[in-house]
Parts: sequence; structure tokens; C-alpha cells
Amino acid sequence: MAHDPHHNPGDPPTLHDVDTVSSVVTVYAVVLALAVVNILLTFAALGPMALPVQLGIGAVQACLVAWYWMHMRRGDTAVTLSAFTTLFFMFIFFVLVLADVLTRWRAAI
Amino acid sequence: MSASTHGHGTVLKHHFDNLEQQHSAERLGMWFFLVTEVLFFTGMFVAYTVYRNWYPGEFAFASSHLLWWVAAINTGLLITSSLTMTLAIRSAQLGDKAGLIRRLLLTFALGAGFMGFKAFEYATDYHEKFVPGEMFRTEYARPLAELTADDAKRKFEGRPALTRTEVESYQFKGEYEHWSQDLAKRNYGREPATEGTVSPERVQLFLCFYYIMTGIHGVHIIVGLGCILWLVFEAYRGAIPREAYSKVEVISLYWHLVDMIWLFLMPLLYLIRSGGGQ
Repeated sequence: MAHDPHHNPGDPPTLHDVDTVSSVVTVYAVVLALAVVNILLTFAALGPMALPVQLGIGAVQACLVAWYWMHMRRGDTAVTLSAFTTLFFMFIFFVLVLADVLTRWRAAI
Repeated sequence: MSASTHGHGTVLKHHFDNLEQQHSAERLGMWFFLVTEVLFFTGMFVAYTVYRNWYPGEFAFASSHLLWWVAAINTGLLITSSLTMTLAIRSAQLGDKAGLIRRLLLTFALGAGFMGFKAFEYATDYHEKFVPGEMFRTEYARPLAELTADDAKRKFEGRPALTRTEVESYQFKGEYEHWSQDLAKRNYGREPATEGTVSPERVQLFLCFYYIMTGIHGVHIIVGLGCILWLVFEAYRGAIPREAYSKVEVISLYWHLVDMIWLFLMPLLYLIRSGGGQ
């Protein structure tokens, strides 16, 4: 992680480490707007596309929250690795289970 | 060292070289915990995925009878609480004690509002007997019994049996819950597991997922509220100087994760109705 040469690691947070109110509120507005869109799309009869669209909106919201509010943009390598490791384990979890379930011969369930 | 002295000697623990290293370690510790929390919920989401894939009609039916407007309000409350929590970190970093306490209390109020609406929702569902088990089965049987009796009366009077159209537009004389009326209309006169029917057992399966997933999420909200109250107490007694802002940050990381989980939980449980379940 890059260090500001003028900033002693032992000093309290300088103003460039502090989120601005405008950035926090902007993310809030976008996340809330996406939630409203998600709810309104429920009544749009998207058919089979409804689920991917809803999950896509959720993923965008999660990325915004993680990147800005959870400060992943600070670039702590270990934190970034932890987050992506989580996604990787989720991927394995879903793939292994669904590979079983979706390839079963189902007579009549 | 006393808690009232808040120079680097109190905030900086002896096994860290500097505050930045300590804060990084604190954040990483919380992130590791969040990883386990995500995997905990992933198990439930995977199970949900399997059963939604197997029983899309039943899941869509059950979802359409939940109180989606309560979930919408709760979504707004939780997202706003994440906003106030992030602003609380800013207050802590700037040494604004009053602002920190104010924003933490606002976050707590919004989270408590979420739980209040959740309690109202659960109470309504329970009152409507939309709960898996004997109550559900008993309530479902009531409109079916009326339809059966009406059909029997028609037969006795020499009239034809109820047609599908008549069943779908049937006006019940008794007072039954909205979901049991819909379920009875869907299934009456049809063989079980044929096209157009909705299995009441699988509807109850959805309800199991609904109560367990939202219930466990609710428990996480309550734990988060407790942590926020602890932060308020710490801030009030002056134990969160600028150097110790990371106390607020690690709790906020947990709170944001609980918010993110809800952002996926809400559409999966409440918003299936747009045809994605059929």
C-alpha cells in the first residue's frame, strides 16, 4: 500500500483519509435509487430475465457499498484478497452443489 | 494506563509499531470475520437456489403473498442506516464527539426501525396463519371445504359442477386469508402435481426459508444494534478519540455486510412475482 511521505504512520487520520460527505451521500443516492428500480422492475413482468436483473442490481449495490463505504478503495492488499477469496469460495459452493442438482435425472419432482 | 488519557500510549497497543499498522490489523480481523459470515449465509442461499429451481411456481406464489411494501421500507431504512454509519466514521476521524454520538444514535434508530417493521411483518404473517405447519394446513383446508360443499350442493340440485372459470372468480362466503383463497382456487378440481397447481407443502417449504433467512438476518441486526450502542457508550465516555476511529470503522464493516446481505435477500424472497418464478 502506498504511503504519503508527509504522513507519519502513527499520526491521526489526515483529511485525505476521511470520506467527504458528498461522496458518501452520492453513493447513498445511487444505492437507494437502484433499490427503487429493483422493486419497480418487479411489476414489469420481465419473465426469466427478472432474476438475473435483480441479482445484477444487487451485485452493483454490493460493489458500491464495498468499494466506497467499506473502504476497499484504500487498497489494503490483504482486505482485497479476503474479499475476492470470499467470492471464490461462494463460487465453489454454488458450482459444486448446482452441478449435482442440475444434472440429476428427475422423474417427477 | 487510564482510559481517560487518550494519547498514542493508550490507543496504540504495545505489539503494534504504529497506529496505521494497528488499524490495518483491526480492519483485517473484522474482514476475516465477515468472510465467515458471508459463507454462513451462502449455505442458505445455495439451498434456496436449489429449491427455487425445483419449485419455481410455489416460490413465486408464496412470495407474492408476502408484505413486499414492508420489505421496501426496510430496505430504505437499512441503506440509510449504512449512510449514517459511514458518516459516523467521518465524525470519529474528525474528532467530532457530538456528531459521532448523534450519527450512531441515528443508525441505531434506523436499525431499530427495521426490526420494528420486521416484528409487525411477522405478527401479520402469524395472524394470517401464513406460517408452515398445522395452522397453514388448517387454514388452507377451509376455503377448499367451502368449494367442495358448493360443488356437492350443485350436484344435488342437478346443476353442472363448478367450471375452472367459475372457480377462479369464486366469491367465498366465509372469511379466509387471502393466500388460502388463492391457493384453494388454484388447486380445486385439479389433480395434485398437474399443471397450474401449487403444492401447499412446497409453499410451506418457501415459508421455512423465508422465516429462517430473515430471522437469522434479524439476529445479525440485533447484534449490530448492540455493537452500535456499545460505540455510543464508548464515545460518550470519551474513549473514541481521533486516533481510535477504527473502533467505529470495524463495527461499520459488520453493519455494511448485514445491509448487503439484505440487498440480496429482499429481491430473492419478496420480488419473485415478476414472472421469474414461472
